Amino acid sequence: MRPQSVGWLFMAPTLVILFVFGVLPFVYVLVISFFDWNSFAADPTMRFSGVQNYRDLVFDTGYLMSLWNTLKFGVFAVASEIVLGYFLAQLFMRNFPLKSFFRTIHTLPLMIAPVAVGATWRLMTVPGLGPIPYYLDKWFGYDYLISRYAGQAFFTTVVMDVWHWTPLVTLTLLAALSSMPKEPFEQAQIDGANKLQTFWYVTLPLLKPAILAAVFIRLMDAMRTVDEVWMLTGGGPAAATRYVGLYIWRVVFPKTDYGYGSAMSLITLYLTIVMCWLLYAGLVARRDLRKPE
Amino acid sequence: MSGLKRMLLGAAVAGLLVGAGPARADFWSDAAKGLEGTTIHGVSESTPPSNYVKDVLAPAFTKATGIKVEFEATSWDQMYDKAIKDMEANTGIYDFVYIEQDIVYSYLSRDFLVDITKSLAEKPNLKAPDFDPAMFTTFVNYFKGDKGDIFGVPMEAFIKVYLYRKDLFEDPAAKEAFKAKYGYDLAVAKTHQQYKDIADFFTAWGKEKGIELWGSTVQAHTGHPASWYEFFESIAPTFGVYNWGIDASKNYAATVEHGGSMNSPESKKALEYWLSLLPDAPPESTASTWDEVAATFAAGRTAQGLVYGENAAWIATNDTKSKVVGKVGVALPPLEPGVLEAAESGKGYIGYYDGGAFGIPHSSKNKDAALLFLEYIAQPSVQADWAVAGSRITHQATYDDPKVVAQDAKTDGYYTLMKNDGRLFAGAPPYPFHAQVREATAPFFYQAITGELSASDALDQMAAAAEKELTKLGYRK
Amino acid sequence: MKRDRKGLSLLFWLFSSLITLFPIYWMFVVSAKSRVELFGAPTFLIKSFFSENYWATLTNTSFQGYMFNSIVIATSNALLVTTLSLFATYALSRYKLSGKENIFFWTITNRMAPPAAFLLPLFLLYTQVFVVGDWKMFDTRIGLILLYCVFNLPFAIWTMRGVVDAIPQELDEAAFVDGASTWQVILHVILPLARPGLAVTGILTWVFAWNEYLFAATLTSVHARTITTGLAEFVTVTGTNWGQMAATAMLTLIPAIIFLSLVQKHIVAGLTFGAVKG
Repeated sequence: MRPQSVGWLFMAPTLVILFVFGVLPFVYVLVISFFDWNSFAADPTMRFSGVQNYRDLVFDTGYLMSLWNTLKFGVFAVASEIVLGYFLAQLFMRNFPLKSFFRTIHTLPLMIAPVAVGATWRLMTVPGLGPIPYYLDKWFGYDYLISRYAGQAFFTTVVMDVWHWTPLVTLTLLAALSSMPKEPFEQAQIDGANKLQTFWYVTLPLLKPAILAAVFIRLMDAMRTVDEVWMLTGGGPAAATRYVGLYIWRVVFPKTDYGYGSAMSLITLYLTIVMCWLLYAGLVARRDLRKPE
Repeated sequence: MSGLKRMLLGAAVAGLLVGAGPARADFWSDAAKGLEGTTIHGVSESTPPSNYVKDVLAPAFTKATGIKVEFEATSWDQMYDKAIKDMEANTGIYDFVYIEQDIVYSYLSRDFLVDITKSLAEKPNLKAPDFDPAMFTTFVNYFKGDKGDIFGVPMEAFIKVYLYRKDLFEDPAAKEAFKAKYGYDLAVAKTHQQYKDIADFFTAWGKEKGIELWGSTVQAHTGHPASWYEFFESIAPTFGVYNWGIDASKNYAATVEHGGSMNSPESKKALEYWLSLLPDAPPESTASTWDEVAATFAAGRTAQGLVYGENAAWIATNDTKSKVVGKVGVALPPLEPGVLEAAESGKGYIGYYDGGAFGIPHSSKNKDAALLFLEYIAQPSVQADWAVAGSRITHQATYDDPKVVAQDAKTDGYYTLMKNDGRLFAGAPPYPFHAQVREATAPFFYQAITGELSASDALDQMAAAAEKELTKLGYRK
Repeated sequence: MKRDRKGLSLLFWLFSSLITLFPIYWMFVVSAKSRVELFGAPTFLIKSFFSENYWATLTNTSFQGYMFNSIVIATSNALLVTTLSLFATYALSRYKLSGKENIFFWTITNRMAPPAAFLLPLFLLYTQVFVVGDWKMFDTRIGLILLYCVFNLPFAIWTMRGVVDAIPQELDEAAFVDGASTWQVILHVILPLARPGLAVTGILTWVFAWNEYLFAATLTSVHARTITTGLAEFVTVTGTNWGQMAATAMLTLIPAIIFLSLVQKHIVAGLTFGAVKG
């Protein structure tokens, strides 16, 4: 068919950029992860320590807890975003007055920097002063103290994430829905399929790549969330919302524990890759994987 | 806006000319000969004192010397991180960096900073006639090396003081009710028991009157080290627990078992006392870092509290930010018996002396120009306006300036307190592992605030975690 | 009947907009209050507009620079990324490249890395390796534009893959038979059909670049600082300036809305796509 070399030429810029800005730093982090290195240790030099950092990780309950919390956060947030986002995207496929106006409104949360999102949600939920806890207390006598109760803090981070990122899912699915062929639907109608059947046998399979891409992106972004939660709760109360991105940030920035932080990053990266690979292999690419040509 | 800026700038330049004397009026341009056109690059936190340097002093310096100043004002975490990365990697991006008092020992232990005393002795042509380290307040001692050479030029310094609401404390109805309930007169608390009584009293008072008033601020954020700092800097010392309860002379012991005092009975009593204030504090306290505590007090939501001194001036004088202008009293924090005596004899301290300096990293490629800049901001003649703009004092001459005296009166004598009793306060302990031990122990501390751990258990675990971290870092053998 | 449904749908959209807008409205309320008003019982309405928060940002030359940098960086990055991703997905879709599925999966792993630990090597690269004479990649706009490709390119490739795969191969085969070059096929066959996908990808990559904080904070200093790092400047030891922070965040919405409205109409263009297939 067409020459491979042309294809590689089209891939080249992407590969070069990803190699220089993605792979090179990765190699550095990989090397550092086998060293004991803290700028402010009694001996501040780099000392080779083999797999000691990785060994320590297995017993670091704080890290393991934060991984578990992050996973919970990711699953709850992403599942809600996909359901809500799909629902909104479907509604945006219809015709109704002021459609583009409403679509713009529903895209706005995306446009606000996570730092500012975190700050705004913090101001809305500061115990005693934010409107939400203030009026919940005044009208319903309900104690909403996210700096005190772990469950409420967790729930608030999920809601904040859903508010901020559902528009991303809506937009991606909207694009996919827009470019969907009409025939299968017409055929389904002719065959007398009901709405649920059409959704299950026609819409869903056609949307699968787009949904999966959205799940992937959101899941991996949720796994590395830092700015928003850092502004909202600082990871508290205690360790309730100290998600893994924040945890690593604390190890490499204030603690300057570069070796350990690098190992932690790589293990987290590895676990994310495995998780996504399983999803990917299980759902989409089975055919492609079986016969690599 | 710009008119005001120009005025301040004019004042700074005029002050410089007078201060330096007519004979050496052109010291700056002489010393900067050959350096004109150089650009020096610095990093600092975007606080009022730093912004004053950025907006007023740096442009004046450029005018006097021809040396350009690029000043990066950023957030606390970022400043710290970038300065360290720059110095660790020996990159030379920054020609001067902000050194917070608590991190200076880390920098000195790594020999990151240029010895300013030595550099000026080697290059007498760079030595400004009115630059005299002996004229700084005692705060400069934190930036001295073993031989007494200075490694940083102090740019801001504050003490964490006890603020109370004069209007409430002098309210006849409140006084009467207090006396009836507790059997002694309502007055500024000298002991922890009194402080707690007053806190209980005003919390009940607020509830009874249906107003948003509580007894005390507590800087008790459950996910930010500010809460950890309030305890170790401002509460534990008033119970006689110093230096975080870590004893450097005993192989950096933290646990009582090994000779430390982080989990000593006094320390546990201190934490129990501090936690007992939480019900007397407004609901935002568990989400409060250093600045929210000040804002809570400024909003008139509490009757008393420990507040960082950099906020004292605006709380007492600025009515676009504060509802309690003219109602603020300033005093020394409440203490356990014997602590004041220990502090006066130099064996202890009663609270936190906070601040920072500018220093020059070894990696800088424009050390001469940076030296000139640091001398420039250390001139006695620029201090008073700077003090008024940022409520900071680092130079002895500043206290007597009429502008500062005027502000002192408005702030119920904050500067006088700082001048007379500043010696009773102390900065962070001289540990090169400051942030490391803080991060290792803080998680347990947060759990004490949320109630997941008792005060006693939390401190036991913190002491153990501190020792573990110190062993890992190689300080504890 | 039909009218009722229309009313109902309008009601739904109003309600849903209310929820979506509330945090933004609260940001506006905060931006319109002076500091002392913030620490009291919260009110939903604004009594007086404290415009100083806005003026302080608008008249601050540093912030004008941050805003300019953000616009340049986000827009350049979005353009670069959408272009490169179109090339890459075309190659992945139309050529039999050995191991391409693995490469496809590998690209996305670049986005998964927790950023904190990668800042140190990037800092070293930018200050000590990517240096030409006096020029360093540190604190340059081009540095961020290229770096943002690391998390944006994988995203773009993953969203564009489905779009390009869905364009029937017969269409480009037909063009080739007519004597078109590969270049012409991409430009005249693929590009028009991929427009909705490209528009969405463009918007989202722009958003990611516009909002990025950690890299920008570490790898810039004075000249290439972006508006998100500017927002963090308001968080200080002597008082978080919530009002001005919110005002600045409100101001950042303006370029974002302009960009959105410019690009958004291309999403709709895709509605006719189904018809092409036949």
